[in-house]
Amino acid sequence: MAERQMDAPATEQIYTLNLGPQHPSTHGVLRVLLDLDGEFIVKADPVIGYCHRGHEKMAENRLYKQFLPNTSRMDYLSGMLFNHGFVLAVERLTGIEAPERAKYIRVIVSELNRISSHLLWFGTYLMDLGGFTPFLYAFDDREHILDILDSVSGSRLTYSYCRFGGVCRDVDQAFVEMTRAFLKRMAGRWTDYEKLVSRNIIFINRTRRVGVIDRELARQYGVTGPNLRACGVAFDVRKAEPYEVYDRFDFDIPTGSRGDALDRYCVRFEEMRQSCRIIEQALDSLPGGRFLAPKIPQKIIPTKGEAYAAFESARGLAAFYLVSDGGSRPYRCHIRAPSFGNLNVLTEVLPDTMLADTISILGSIDVVIPEIDR
Amino acid sequence: MKVREIERSIADKFPDAIFKRDESGKTGALWSVAVPVSGVRGAAEAFETAGFFLETITALDFQDTFELVYHFNCYEAASRVAVRALVGHDQVPPSIFDIFRGAGWLEREIHDFFGIGFSGNPDMRPLLLPEDADYHPLRKNFGKVDSYHKREDIYG
Repeated sequence: MAERQMDAPATEQIYTLNLGPQHPSTHGVLRVLLDLDGEFIVKADPVIGYCHRGHEKMAENRLYKQFLPNTSRMDYLSGMLFNHGFVLAVERLTGIEAPERAKYIRVIVSELNRISSHLLWFGTYLMDLGGFTPFLYAFDDREHILDILDSVSGSRLTYSYCRFGGVCRDVDQAFVEMTRAFLKRMAGRWTDYEKLVSRNIIFINRTRRVGVIDRELARQYGVTGPNLRACGVAFDVRKAEPYEVYDRFDFDIPTGSRGDALDRYCVRFEEMRQSCRIIEQALDSLPGGRFLAPKIPQKIIPTKGEAYAAFESARGLAAFYLVSDGGSRPYRCHIRAPSFGNLNVLTEVLPDTMLADTISILGSIDVVIPEIDR
Repeated sequence: MKVREIERSIADKFPDAIFKRDESGKTGALWSVAVPVSGVRGAAEAFETAGFFLETITALDFQDTFELVYHFNCYEAASRVAVRALVGHDQVPPSIFDIFRGAGWLEREIHDFFGIGFSGNPDMRPLLLPEDADYHPLRKNFGKVDSYHKREDIYG
């Protein structure tokens, strides 16, 4: 980040630039109103809501199971993780317990989804920075995950695979073999990526010391996920309040130190490897038995009260907050979307950076707008 | 343990407050505490000093009142707690955007959805709704409503 020349003549002309909502590098429908003094940003005002569909209102008018397909349409890049989170919340509300095998399957598909989300971020981020090749590599690898998830859920993006008390379909030997083949393939791919990108001098110059978020700023805005871990805070819901069977697996929480775009890159990159470790252990210890608990009622009617289930989505701490009035539909359903805080913090990160860095910073925080808009 | 610290300082600030503990883990929060709406800022300041972050703010609409639910968390294992405040339908709660800067947007969202204003928040433009929106979709008198209760019907 270049320092602004303090002795430069003061300009009175502030230029307002409208970045988005259809700019190719804003990923979805994000519009940022930028006030510019030359090349420097004076003020950044993200304008969101273009993708607001009223999911929280819809939840109040639907049976619990009817809302399940909505959940993969918020953060559409980690639909499985949101399915999983919603199912966790309803299970907490009703006391339904999923069988062991289902918990393992959920962990495997969730971690696969996390890798596919990170791979998409990796590809598009590098493309924002002007490198087209990594995009093709990443999408090639991601395609394998989509095939695997497609084989069990019948869908490539909006899975709706988790069910209250389990998952909708059992995994077979072919799934296990496909997943193992994918892990084997990826083990050789990381070094390719490193050679191609991680040590590329142009890439490093465009990300090092760019868009620094320090710990205090992250805490003020409720930044979570890889963006928080890049500041050196080892906070991950999978470790802090292990849900499902995450406490049985051996994996690390990668952290950074500077909190810049390069650190965020490194953290996500390492997370993909850790997810591979989790999947491998889960496949090794995948228990037999049922994949769906018996006697789950067709119509879920929880007792009065509330439940809150937090989970680690690909972008950070996400949560479903459900209030039940004892009826068949939620009285209130609130979704804590990690990108909300991750985008909000940009109002303080962007000022005093250069316009060209904005693209790098926006890409490095990996926001998914439909999950903020809900 | 930051949770112990914060419990003490909240108990000091609000001697009458009743801590509702949740052993089952169902509500995701170790405990929740109800404070008067005038005490929201005091509570938020205590959480800020103790090193917590604001996870989310939610409102609930009941026939007799609104309820604001603040979820705070810190970077330690299982440390989420909730602060709840009843806000009358015509009351304006204080903003905490200057204590937790991330609250600014959360309050704007609640204003969008419920029409609850927050005094002191300088930016109350619609966040997720169109700029000319004059409706509040999550209020129980808007659109299709499945059920509308008094607070005691659910939490009583």
